[in-house]
Amino acid sequence: MNIAPRYLGRGSWLARRDPRVLVLVIALFIFTVLQVWDGRVVFALLLVAIAYYQTARIPWRHIRRNWTIVFVFIGFLVLVNMIVTGGDVRSVSVEHVFFRVPLLGTPVSAESISLAATQLMRYLAMATVGFPLAFAVAPADFGVTFARLGVPEKFAFGIDLTFRFLPSLGADLQTTIDAQRIRGYDATARRSGPLSRLRNAVPVLVPTIVNAVAGAEDTIDAMDMRAFGTGKRSWLRQLAFDRTDRLIIGFFAILFILATLAGLAGLTTRLWTPELLIDLAGG
Amino acid sequence: MTTMSISRSNLWEVSSRTIVYSAIGAALYGILLVAQLPIPGSTVSVRPAFALVPFFGYAFGPVVGFFTGLVGNAIGDQISGWGALTSWNWSLANGFVGLLAGLAPLYLVQWVAGNIRQRAIGGAIAGAVAVVIGFLFVFTDTVISGMDVGTVISSEYITVVVGDLIGTIILVPILVYAWEPVKAQLGR
Repeated sequence: MNIAPRYLGRGSWLARRDPRVLVLVIALFIFTVLQVWDGRVVFALLLVAIAYYQTARIPWRHIRRNWTIVFVFIGFLVLVNMIVTGGDVRSVSVEHVFFRVPLLGTPVSAESISLAATQLMRYLAMATVGFPLAFAVAPADFGVTFARLGVPEKFAFGIDLTFRFLPSLGADLQTTIDAQRIRGYDATARRSGPLSRLRNAVPVLVPTIVNAVAGAEDTIDAMDMRAFGTGKRSWLRQLAFDRTDRLIIGFFAILFILATLAGLAGLTTRLWTPELLIDLAGG
Repeated sequence: MTTMSISRSNLWEVSSRTIVYSAIGAALYGILLVAQLPIPGSTVSVRPAFALVPFFGYAFGPVVGFFTGLVGNAIGDQISGWGALTSWNWSLANGFVGLLAGLAPLYLVQWVAGNIRQRAIGGAIAGAVAVVIGFLFVFTDTVISGMDVGTVISSEYITVVVGDLIGTIILVPILVYAWEPVKAQLGR
């Protein structure tokens, strides 16, 4: 079982950046998008996100499935929200109703469609900026990245260790599954109820977890013998922002400041509904 | 730090043991999440892997539990391509579940200090309490994603809590029963 982060953006322009840039951009961008409800501005932010994503050069054929999951997940949430939200469309006083959902009676209006479209774009923008972190940062760089971003040394080392454990624990999981198969276990058996699915997981889950914890002693001893945690830790990988890194962070910081100011002035916090939709609804 | 006998005084200790158990918990949780990729939303989705979070919290303390939930969920998102920080509030919610389960010595004193049967039941209770309270943090989606409270309750909170409660109540005691003899064998 080969379970490890896929470094698909290797060598791309974005992958050559200091990995802290990718973390900071996500934080700045998410808090920018959170403040905006005007669909036109959200669309512009989505375009910025797509342009940023393109620089990671992640091959589409490798992540088609990931994007499908994203679309299904986001689409489901937005659809449910549109149906559940009903008449409460971000404090819009007058709604231009197309029709009501049978049985539920929820109005589908120009405003609720605008809200759904804006939410969809917000989610997509955030996911688009998040993807490069998954595919354009070398897995071995995560520990030092978070350490240099101010995460306590021990926890940063924990993150580093987590990535290092992934391949070996993935192999252990496969070994356990194979061992149980020899004893008649069928991992692919179709189970109907949740309890049956849980019961089916026990023969694999329990030995994998207990073996992993019991086998941790060697790592703990090795760390103790090297005096882990007694002094400041140094990292083999050195990180330094270059001019381009600073420009990228500066750009996203300006976006965040502008969104905050516009939000405080009430310019982008109100839902925007296209006139065309209102006209179609007979408004 | 000894396992399953964490006292109030060493709850927040961060040693090499804490870090290694945290990393193992997070890696296992991330791997198992990816291996069984749940279908979101539509029905109650039981995630057996989730039992790891309250178990690691209950057995090894709140720091390990918090790290396992937080980093494990982020790693799962990272491997599946969603991005480690895109759903940061969900990772934090997972972390809080581990943290609260790890605080069991503060609110389940007699169960934690009892015999193996009591400790196993204590694990189920601590896990259930942690799941119900910890996942309240997903209500931040009302601010972050602009979701309606009703949407968060119906398509996120209840869906996740019901599925994870079933997994936690059944699997955590089994894991406690499995781990206790191994722990004794290891001399801890």
